[in-house]
Amino acid sequence: MTDRYARRFAQLKREKRRAFIPFTLLGWPDRQSSFSIVKAMIECGASSLELGLAFSDPVADGPIIQQAASETLASGFKVRDAFELIAEIRGLDREIPIGLLVYYNMVLAQGVEQFCQRAQKAGVDGILVADLPPEAASEVVPAARACDLSTLFIVSPLTTEDRLGKIREYAGAFVYAVSRLGITGTEARYDQALKAMIARVHATVSLPVCVGFGVSTPDQARAMFALGADGVITGSRILQLVREANGAEYDQRLRAFLESMSEVCLCQR
Amino acid sequence: MFGTFGGIYVPEPLMPALEELEEAFLQLSQDQAFLARLKELLADYAGRPTPLYHARNLSAKWGAQIFLKREDLLHGGAHKTNNALGQALLAQAMAKKRIIAETGAGQHGVATAMAGALLGLRTEIYMGEVDIERQKPNVLRMQLLGAQVHPVATGGRTLKDAINQALRDWISNLRDTHYLLGTAAGPHPFPTLVKFFQSVIGDEARSQFFQRYRSLPEYAIACIGGGSNAIGLFSAFLEEPSVRLIGVEPAGRGLDTHEHGAVLSRGTAGCLHGMKSMLLQDEDGQIQETYSIAAGLDYPSVGPEHAYLKSTGRAVYESATDGEALFAFHDLCRTEGIIPALESAHALACARRLAATVPAQTTILVSLSGRGDKDLEQVMPRD
Repeated sequence: MTDRYARRFAQLKREKRRAFIPFTLLGWPDRQSSFSIVKAMIECGASSLELGLAFSDPVADGPIIQQAASETLASGFKVRDAFELIAEIRGLDREIPIGLLVYYNMVLAQGVEQFCQRAQKAGVDGILVADLPPEAASEVVPAARACDLSTLFIVSPLTTEDRLGKIREYAGAFVYAVSRLGITGTEARYDQALKAMIARVHATVSLPVCVGFGVSTPDQARAMFALGADGVITGSRILQLVREANGAEYDQRLRAFLESMSEVCLCQR
Repeated sequence: MFGTFGGIYVPEPLMPALEELEEAFLQLSQDQAFLARLKELLADYAGRPTPLYHARNLSAKWGAQIFLKREDLLHGGAHKTNNALGQALLAQAMAKKRIIAETGAGQHGVATAMAGALLGLRTEIYMGEVDIERQKPNVLRMQLLGAQVHPVATGGRTLKDAINQALRDWISNLRDTHYLLGTAAGPHPFPTLVKFFQSVIGDEARSQFFQRYRSLPEYAIACIGGGSNAIGLFSAFLEEPSVRLIGVEPAGRGLDTHEHGAVLSRGTAGCLHGMKSMLLQDEDGQIQETYSIAAGLDYPSVGPEHAYLKSTGRAVYESATDGEALFAFHDLCRTEGIIPALESAHALACARRLAATVPAQTTILVSLSGRGDKDLEQVMPRD
């Protein structure tokens, strides 16, 4: 239900806190570990979840997520398995908003309506179709709305006023702002235009603005808040932590990282 | 859009680059000075017009009149130069300092490297590791021309993966970089823009044929990977229903195996690389690995206009296996003294099949899209 997003962001605003939105890829490194990674996110203070479906050709993702997607598909993990996993995750927490990050071909392969219905049934609150610009949003938004799913959109520092207007028309939950021109990754190269972009989005769209792509440390999160962000999304760093642990006990390191991020986000303004 | 195919389906950060490109293209494709400069380069630098050759020996052997549009004689060795020069001039006009490109067979990489050297643009090429291995001479040519070649190790390590990597590069560097896409596919405006630069193939062939015979050919045949030489050839005949248009896809080791790239014959509708088109994919929408002996045809999608032309019936799409392509390859070598690219050999294979079923005076125009020097290691028996 889209209400979960509204309730959660209203609560954060009331408490003068920011959102911490961790991302991971469903089914990676294996089904059980994927579940326990998300469980750690919830227990360590995530405000909302961003969960990705592995796609064979993820052009908006950097090498860390690409590699994970390719391993997930090689393991035989299917879309059906992903929806089952989401339903299990929903069982852990009835209130946390769950966003699903997908590529358009995976939505089309099921049929847009059926995809949205399956997402809703699994307990998803919003979908972000990485390669669906607002110009084509009308192909998905009505079906999503019919299933109570918010549609999330990305804004970059180069998004024009004109296009920001189109995004306003369709965007729900929060606006996903990219912190630099580029694909997801941990490289910290923030564009000077970022602050101006966040201000522009705030002026145009009455939704929280959360910044992703390259936000991988508490310091970077703090920097985003200083520029006006209402929340941060962290993905690649989480996958990297799990990979670096190399099958060994990643849980403790992951939790320490997640807690350090939550702490920065949840301290009162 | 081409019917329900085409469009723009890309991550938001790419949108400004596509808008900028569309605007520049709309403006410059009407600009007399720009067009004159392109025409001059195509003539004096690249060697246009390319000949239309009546292959009489091959005609006698196969049983119909075969006419070859000799894009293999274009500077660089394939039709790719038409598009690379055009887009590199566009990039220069947009004040870009750097061009990037994907390449499968290496011909587009070579053409882009040539254009980059000529116009002083820094050039970087993405090429799958599998293709680097099987098209080595072209890798060396790109390096000689001053381009940096980045091996791509993801996915099936062929053309599709090279496009993914080039798109990622572009997203990160769009302010100073133009992505010089090599085929009539990808997000708008690329299919239209590439067709614009490749339509010289069809325009020339049509007027050369007409000047000689005061008629049009009965068939026009071209191979299809992304489909740029085919759309370039077809564009001159789309409004001429008497000319039957045939695109030839790679059937690899056979359409009933998983090792082919026959997207229009065996694919379903979907969305990849910024466009809606036909795709080889599974039930979850995961893109399948393709296979062809011809690296330039080894692609799981196809230009959206071909998907459209198939849906309207204006063009038909057939396929040729590796074996059929090789057979036609050797026939052309031995009867005419011309070594075709393995990609173009697929079009020849279809012409050969057709020639056997039509009267001997039937005229068949074939796009000989490239030369085969790059393929020698692939076709020579190994000891």
